[in-house]
Amino acid sequence: MAHRVDHEYEYLFKIVLIGDSGVGKSNILSRYTRNEFCLESKSTIGVEFATRTLQVEGKAVKAQIWDTAGQERYRAITSAYYRGAVGAILVYDITKRQTFDNVQRWLRELRNHADSNIVLMMAGNKSDLNHLRAVSEQDGQALAEKEGLSFLETSALDATNIQKAFQTILTEVYHIVSKKALAAQEAKANASIPGQGTTINVAETSGNTKKGCCST
Amino acid sequence: MTKDGKPDWLNNLLWSITLSGGEDHIHCHSHSPTISPNVVFEPIIQPLVLVPPPATASSPQSTMTSPKSKSRDQVDKNNDDNSNDNDQNASSSDGSPDDISRKFSKKVVNLWELWQNASQGIPEGARIRSTVWKLLLGYPPPNHMQWSYELAKKRSEYKQFKEELLMNPTEMARKLEKSAVRDNDHSEYESSGLLSRSQGWWYFKDSEIIEQIDQDVKHTHPDMNFFSGNSQLAKSNRDALKDILIVFSKLNPGIRYVQGMNEILAPLFYVFRNDPDEEMALLSGFRDPFYKQLDNISVGIHAIITRLSQFLKEHDQELWRHLEITTKVHPQFYAFRWITLLLTQEFNFAHSLHIWDTLLSDPEGPPV
Repeated sequence: MAHRVDHEYEYLFKIVLIGDSGVGKSNILSRYTRNEFCLESKSTIGVEFATRTLQVEGKAVKAQIWDTAGQERYRAITSAYYRGAVGAILVYDITKRQTFDNVQRWLRELRNHADSNIVLMMAGNKSDLNHLRAVSEQDGQALAEKEGLSFLETSALDATNIQKAFQTILTEVYHIVSKKALAAQEAKANASIPGQGTTINVAETSGNTKKGCCST
Repeated sequence: MTKDGKPDWLNNLLWSITLSGGEDHIHCHSHSPTISPNVVFEPIIQPLVLVPPPATASSPQSTMTSPKSKSRDQVDKNNDDNSNDNDQNASSSDGSPDDISRKFSKKVVNLWELWQNASQGIPEGARIRSTVWKLLLGYPPPNHMQWSYELAKKRSEYKQFKEELLMNPTEMARKLEKSAVRDNDHSEYESSGLLSRSQGWWYFKDSEIIEQIDQDVKHTHPDMNFFSGNSQLAKSNRDALKDILIVFSKLNPGIRYVQGMNEILAPLFYVFRNDPDEEMALLSGFRDPFYKQLDNISVGIHAIITRLSQFLKEHDQELWRHLEITTKVHPQFYAFRWITLLLTQEFNFAHSLHIWDTLLSDPEGPPV
């Protein structure tokens, strides 16, 4: 337990924001972590991240949210982006059909690079621009169901559903991680390899090993 | 040192000429960066000797021989407003103001000294910075006599590129139709190589790239009137940025357009703010870090990041250990943008220009 002394949170979850450039990832991040929105923001180059600590079912969870350039060219370079991510919010712009059509591309990208257990959520951003809508909410919902993602329409501009989106994904991650932590406790000193898609062997023995999850 | 704080060498008439003729009027911008130049310039004592910059290192030693400069004339302090006169002087190959031309033709610049001086920051006065940057970037040929010729050549090249590459699909389709009628097998466009690919794909890719460029140009220094807003100036500047980036992306199909190029172009454009042909040529020097296939070679982004990490380790091991070992904050997380954008997003614009003075003055070239 000694390693928890310095932290005012019990869990640290890394969440990545992905989606085409210009869909509003950076503004979702700034709205959530700083309650700021900037209509004239610069395009993101490389990676940026910010954190916010919140309560999930009574536990202090620190969300470390990563934002990156949307342009495909940057994927290879920022491969470390996905490392250790337990959740991803896939963002499209409801006023740009192309960004919705590219959701499949992003899902493929995730399958190739992220942990297979990563929790996914899809967000149709810019819901404040309803008069310019090019993707109906039903279309978003249908795709989300087909792909098994949770789904919300959001607006970083007027803050609609931004909190809710993060709360939803972080709660889902928390459930998985706490279940895993339990399983890990139960699995003997069965030194599991931390890494991508490790299957946890749920052997029904109860050892009292320390939980080995995200808090560094 | 002269009374206005400029070193003598900077008062040389050399700096008062522009390399471009600029029929394309991009107006002098009223809110030029205001930095208090605390940099002290030492006058150059030795005669200047022209050494080609690295980019044009084909002729290693001085091509200019007449060592003593005759003119130590005071540069007109309002030289910004005289740009047109100066442009004419500089680019007229008939040498109308023969006198000045002759003086310049004898002028001999020691680029090493230029590097040294410029690396400490160039005093304000855009004319000087623009010329110094051009020299540092190896843009003008070593021989002053060739400047106007080279310039005219580059300008006409760029004009041609614009005509050929910025044509909208409808126009292009019309031309294609015409040429298809003329010759069903080989259109003249195919033979020119410009449209040799599957045209549908080409258009599609184009529109995606152009949209991306458009989006990023709109987000280039949104806080500066020079680039942003609805003024005629800002609009024409944005159009020029867009043209340059589109032409570049088409001329460099392996690189195309990578987000961030707009940020690299912005300071160059701002400083030169003349005919776009210059920036386009200059941008070509910056393409390597954006080229995917080069990511892993010794000058690629991974190698540069590794060098930075080693550098940090050498100079501040404690910080290095904290970042890389303890907290696992690898340099690609914080330095990627520093490197690819040459610090343009880390400081305000005016400060970036000063930093670029130093970056561009590195004899080994900017770090990228």
